[in-house]
Amino acid sequence: MKKKKQRTLRQKLNTERSAGILCTLPFTIGFLAFMIVPMCISLYYSFCDYNILTPPVFSGLKNFKRMIEDSVFYQTLFVTFKFAIISVPLRLVFALIVAMLLFKSTKMTGIYRAMYYLPSIIGGSVAVAILWKRLFSLDGLINKILMSLGMKESVAWLGDTRTAIWTLIILAVWQFGSSMLIFLSALKQIPTSLYEAARVDGANGWQQFWKITLKLLTPTIHFNLVMQMINGFLAFTQCLIITQGKPLNSTLFYTVYMYQQSFLFGSTGYGAALAWVMLALIAFITWILFATKKLWVYDGGL
Amino acid sequence: MKKKMLSLLLASAMAFSLAACGSDGGSTGSDSADTGNSTAAGSTQSSADSGSAAQDFGSAKDVSMVFSWWGNQIRNERTQASLDLYSTQNPGVTFDTQPAEWSDYWTKLSTLAAGNSLPECIQMDYSYLMQYASSDLLADLTPYVESGVLDVSDVDPGILESGSIDGKVYAVCAGVNAPSLFYNKTLMDELNIEVKDNMTLEEFMDVCRQVYEKSGVKTDLPYSAGDNYLPFNLRSHDTTQLFNEDSLNVPDADSFVEYFSIYETATKEGWIVGADVHAELTANSVEQSPLVYFSSPATQSWCGFFWSNQLSAMVAAAPEGMEIGITTWPSDDPQKSNFLKPSSFFCVSRDAGENEEEAVKVLNFLLNSQEANEILLGERGVPASSVVAAGIAPLQDETAQAVTNYINNVVTPNCSPISPAIPDGANEVYDYCNQLVDKILYGEITAEDAAKELFEKGNEIMAR
Repeated sequence: MKKKKQRTLRQKLNTERSAGILCTLPFTIGFLAFMIVPMCISLYYSFCDYNILTPPVFSGLKNFKRMIEDSVFYQTLFVTFKFAIISVPLRLVFALIVAMLLFKSTKMTGIYRAMYYLPSIIGGSVAVAILWKRLFSLDGLINKILMSLGMKESVAWLGDTRTAIWTLIILAVWQFGSSMLIFLSALKQIPTSLYEAARVDGANGWQQFWKITLKLLTPTIHFNLVMQMINGFLAFTQCLIITQGKPLNSTLFYTVYMYQQSFLFGSTGYGAALAWVMLALIAFITWILFATKKLWVYDGGL
Repeated sequence: MKKKMLSLLLASAMAFSLAACGSDGGSTGSDSADTGNSTAAGSTQSSADSGSAAQDFGSAKDVSMVFSWWGNQIRNERTQASLDLYSTQNPGVTFDTQPAEWSDYWTKLSTLAAGNSLPECIQMDYSYLMQYASSDLLADLTPYVESGVLDVSDVDPGILESGSIDGKVYAVCAGVNAPSLFYNKTLMDELNIEVKDNMTLEEFMDVCRQVYEKSGVKTDLPYSAGDNYLPFNLRSHDTTQLFNEDSLNVPDADSFVEYFSIYETATKEGWIVGADVHAELTANSVEQSPLVYFSSPATQSWCGFFWSNQLSAMVAAAPEGMEIGITTWPSDDPQKSNFLKPSSFFCVSRDAGENEEEAVKVLNFLLNSQEANEILLGERGVPASSVVAAGIAPLQDETAQAVTNYINNVVTPNCSPISPAIPDGANEVYDYCNQLVDKILYGEITAEDAAKELFEKGNEIMAR
């Protein structure tokens, strides 16, 4: 005890425990102040009549009951599921294909990797969303190209309920960079000895890919799937800027509807309730992905 | 034990400095709007602090106020200049100006309201006035009107009334506006089609048909603008307020049929700029209006439904050689439908506290000062004070004069008082109405069914 008292501040800070606490403090405080506290507040709001302007009034399960009768709620759920379920697997397939192409090292590989990663960085930005809107507009590049190929009339991609959602899906698929990088590093970890053994046994390229590459990649695929699914359900910017849910709510994402309710229609309490239902749904889907993991993910030794 | 205390100390020190950073950001920029409750609360703290600091150290008159508005570049520059003028005339009063875009503005303002840190002076819109006033977020200006700090002697009583709720003045009109139809005068002259003031619906639709037949140019009916055009239509049938406290103020769905059938007819006859074109445009933007922004006759419109103070912006956005005319929105009873509306208001917020009186003086300055309005030049609409309006008229350019002429000679002699401000929930009803219009444009629903759905769903939304 006496010895301890004589330690200088510097020494005290130098212990593993206090250094650990100190170094994680910025995150801990940020996490508490900007994640946990707001989340608790929003949980409370979800049980309130609240329009931001006047103080919240507790109203029990009213918001959740309203949700059950809200047809737009189901519509946005459908749209968001459709978007996530189509765009995420497509994105993963794309990421894997590009990762396989970039796997073989050449002088240009570094540049290619950077180039293919670029859309992931800029893809979520407002500028690209606006660019996308222009690309698919009536006098946009896509229509110009199709017309020069012999199409007679330009197509209102964004104005047709059947095609509008696909412009958003394609934009999402285009942002395959982060999954691609993860696939690349996973590919590198597959021992070449396996391929050599397979070749000796007379396996062709397709069999090698199917039996070795894909099988050993399943843990990575699983990881990517979980992460991208969560992101997919939370997509916001593209919808808000490119389509705003138009036409006929056929592209109205759940998060955008939440935003509309919270800030445009003055039902902030209902918006908070929507947010918590989404949280529960994402948790459930993630749980399913983990529960089915043992059915298709290879985690045995080599 | 010691260690624990130390880390606690460090933690609190850090939290303190973090909070300080947060509140700095809060009081200087628009960022605070996005960060929500915790920092908003912090910024109240800091603004209260700086207020008292000014009291302690500076002269007693040192006041710093936040002035917030939505608008465009011209408005930002002119408002800033007029506030600078106020600062020169009243040493010690400084402004932290916070302009924003329309849609961001309301998100930001509502978050600030939740954090009890509304700017002292705020620009207010008629559609939000009721919500803000009834939520007790605005200062009651009646005492200042009575004491003469706020001089409204030159303001038309009807216009003053539009900023009042239950007999209390909450808002001062920043400029007078009226619904106005902008049209491509050059094209109409070429086609030799006459556009006259106070067209009835049938006359208007005839013009649309003629234009379409002769040139293939279509008509841009109000899109995503049910909040403007539906009440305008209802007014001609004596429904001045669509909303009761908890229901729609119409006897049955038939009241909406005429409104929807305009879109239905236009869609069937093919002369409307469709929803597929609008899917690519920013709704109700002047610059992206099919009147001036198009690639072929199929995406072009000969007219657009706007507000008189937007004419300058529309003229600026028009391609070279296109002359823009101004007339009334079509209505079967223009006298009942037409109205003068404050394009925006200035309000003093409840959070102004001890700066309240100074903020009211600023409002009075913007309302009555000839010098200030020589800078503002009626960008927000024709000045509410008739003396000021007459004073700046010679300084205005041709377009602004056309607007003044339109307000004074076309609308004013032939209009009714504005409808009461809309209550909570109304915006959602209008949004639903816009979706129904969409369905009609896509041919998914008839006008009768749309009217029925609006009647049912509207009542349901208001009853919540």
